[in-house]
Amino acid sequence: MVEHVIETSDLRKSFPGIEALRGLDLQVPAGSICGFLGRNGAGKTTAMKILLGMVRPTSGEARVFGRTPDVEVRRRAGFVSEEKDLYGYMTVEEMIRFTAPFFPRWRADLEKKYLRKFNLPPDRKIKALSRGMRTKLALLLALCRGAELLIVDEPTSGLDPAMAEEALQAVVGHVADENMTVFFSSHQIAEVEQIADRVAIIDRGRIVMSGALDEIRESFRRIQLVFEGDAPQTEFRAPGVTHVRRNGRVLTLLASGAPDSIVDEARALNPLSVDIVPVTFKEIFLESVNTEE
Amino acid sequence: MLWYKSWLETRWRFLIGLALLLCSAAATVFTYPQVMKLMPMVPANISGPLGERIREAVVLARDYRGYVWSQWFRQNGRQWTTLFAIILGTAGILTPASGALFTLSLPVSRARLLGVRAATGLLELLLLAFVPSLLIPMLSPAIQQSYSVGSALGQAASLFVTASAFFTLALLLSTFFDDPWRPLMIALAIAIALGIVAQIFRIHRFGHVPWGLLLTSAVASLVLYYGAVINLQHRDF
Repeated sequence: MVEHVIETSDLRKSFPGIEALRGLDLQVPAGSICGFLGRNGAGKTTAMKILLGMVRPTSGEARVFGRTPDVEVRRRAGFVSEEKDLYGYMTVEEMIRFTAPFFPRWRADLEKKYLRKFNLPPDRKIKALSRGMRTKLALLLALCRGAELLIVDEPTSGLDPAMAEEALQAVVGHVADENMTVFFSSHQIAEVEQIADRVAIIDRGRIVMSGALDEIRESFRRIQLVFEGDAPQTEFRAPGVTHVRRNGRVLTLLASGAPDSIVDEARALNPLSVDIVPVTFKEIFLESVNTEE
Repeated sequence: MLWYKSWLETRWRFLIGLALLLCSAAATVFTYPQVMKLMPMVPANISGPLGERIREAVVLARDYRGYVWSQWFRQNGRQWTTLFAIILGTAGILTPASGALFTLSLPVSRARLLGVRAATGLLELLLLAFVPSLLIPMLSPAIQQSYSVGSALGQAASLFVTASAFFTLALLLSTFFDDPWRPLMIALAIAIALGIVAQIFRIHRFGHVPWGLLLTSAVASLVLYYGAVINLQHRDF
């Protein structure tokens, strides 16, 4: 069994005038639900398209199931694009009948289950479906493939909260029953926290943080130093300092791991107070993608 | 299932084309008696290139075979078939509007996607070239004339081969652009330019099989199709 279902190494992609990926190193372990988090334009969709062979990398390597993206990878993976672009001229039933023969392990039992659960009208043309219904149909088509990997680009994009919740629950419920890996992109932190057990944060085409969500949450602390006058401009040598922010008399550090050595280094600057406070995942994300020191 | 998808995506273009070509072929047959009545009224003393063309048309029209060749296989049928070859070729292979990302997520190579689309289009083009052409020998007895099925088949094959080059040209252009309009306009402009060249050099002559043109068209079709495959395989979506 492949330890990492998805693995990229120094993956780069340039479009005219844009460097979308700048050395992306990503690993997604088998059986995980990995949230791919980043701001709009960070390179999430480009990375996903490379994993499915829709876009060719400029340099570097992308491997899925240990293979360079090819027809076999697509046979073993389900994909839901952000646009949920299906064939508008087909009915729901035709779209399902069209898709099923491409996948030898098509799950007719799941097809019936999700048709019922999602209330999809089989005779309705896809162009007449609402965006929410189209999302549900795209999910059905991806989930019934009998796929080992599900790649979903912005699963709740454009959906109202109720519909978004329904879509997320469908994915979570499916993964609970089936042995599969899910790799989904989002810029919604709450969504990632709700369903992911791992995260990879991408910013400007590079992974800035990745790992198990719980470990990331537990390992990060905010260390706040208040000085009598303006906070000094200093560089911390202690390991684990990921971000430093000066704001008047206050110096704020975002640190991972044991904070003892950082606190010792901070105390040497003679602050009036040193406070160590836990941080939310949202704060970690915002600090990770904030490029302004 | 890719065949079914290709058919759904091109069926209206094909059916409209077939209907128009059938009407045009029928009109060619049924206007022959009126044309014959007008023949004596054509002045014989028009000079210049236009006069030469008119005299040539009059000479051809004296014989039903010449009339059908001139009106259908050289003009109307050829122009309509070429037009619909281009329209079929621009029917969008992997455009955002036709669910490109979903198609690309299927376990199918791009070469196969293009192959099925090209085969569907060529099959439709084959019907567009042959069915209306075969209608002519079937309708001719209605005006007390006859046209051999063998001649119709031969001329239809010529129509198909030359139109195939325009179909593959449009197919190749479609692999460069996401919208159908630019490939359509470029292919039409090229078709019109080549049509003018064919007129100037009198490539189509009654009683002669244009072997050079047919061979050139067949080779061009293969080269253009190969170009379309290569371009599609290297494109980012």
